[in-house]
Amino acid sequence: MTSPNKILRAVLLVLRLALGGVFVYAAWTKLRQPWVVFAFSIDAYHVLPEWAVTLVARTLPWVELMTGLLLLAGRWMRVSTVATSALLGLFFALMVRAYARGEAIDCGCFGPGEAISPLTLLRDGSLLGGSLLLLVSAYRKPRKPAPLATEDLAESSYRPA
Amino acid sequence: MKLSAILLLGLALCLAAPSRIDTAKTFGNPAAPVTIVLFSDFQCPACGALHRSLMPSLMRDYVQSGKAYLVYKEFPLMMHAHAKEAATYAVASARVGKYEQVADALFQNQASWGVDGKVWETVASVLTPAEQKKVQMLVKDPGVLSEVAGDMQEGLEQNVNQTPTMVFIRGNRRYPIGGPNNYNLLRTLIDDLSK
Repeated sequence: MTSPNKILRAVLLVLRLALGGVFVYAAWTKLRQPWVVFAFSIDAYHVLPEWAVTLVARTLPWVELMTGLLLLAGRWMRVSTVATSALLGLFFALMVRAYARGEAIDCGCFGPGEAISPLTLLRDGSLLGGSLLLLVSAYRKPRKPAPLATEDLAESSYRPA
Repeated sequence: MKLSAILLLGLALCLAAPSRIDTAKTFGNPAAPVTIVLFSDFQCPACGALHRSLMPSLMRDYVQSGKAYLVYKEFPLMMHAHAKEAATYAVASARVGKYEQVADALFQNQASWGVDGKVWETVASVLTPAEQKKVQMLVKDPGVLSEVAGDMQEGLEQNVNQTPTMVFIRGNRRYPIGGPNNYNLLRTLIDDLSK
């Protein structure tokens, strides 16, 4: 293995663990308080009807937790990086929209009490960049073929040509 | 040994003591299961909207029925030129028992005094001549000024970064909500905390 490859692998490993940790932490900050507290943050963006605000507030923290754990474990990388990139892309777009409109609202990233600012935009933008890098790397890596089970082999040998 | 134990006990009591509350700026039953601390700025349009649209329902359904205890705190933002003056007049008016009326007048007319700076005229419109005299004296009182500063300090300590912010408290659980404008969500949170 060449040296640049080693560095890239190390960078991707750090990115994966950092992003996984951030997602697990974000989920934890929301799950330790009543779901309705997060619902206020979602509602402040004024993009969803009330029934959808409730649905997202109740489910999104669990999705964040699952994708975070998958990233930390390094399993189902294609699925988990698509999920994190889609979520971060959506969050980033909503935050940029709110900031551009001059809305002084909480970002809702890690529980209440953190207003959208250039710093939160920079942080989320960086996370999105890291997530996209992991996504590209997951899709460039060839998938390992699934090993055939012995029974399948035995069954296939009786199949007529 | 005894002295140090007394000192330690005193320190513990001081640390455990609840934040200073001006009872003239509170509504409802202090023994209610949920306490709502509202950090507000009289010149902030969102605070005015909250005061007009959501507060009447909240007062009727939760405060007057004894389910929640409402505490008003001043949090005048630097960006609003007359907000601190308005907060000082409101606190002074609380000392003559007219906080609610003055707060109503300030919120209802914030578009005019926010521009022309005629805060006193707005405040005076709901006070009797005798009360006006008292409030004019009280507004220079160091106690009134320090109460406004104390409210602001308390807000900063509780990470209040926007107005209005409502802090919902039940026991040792505290949930600050910035800019609440959905009454159904507010009801859900208070009902959830009341259980």
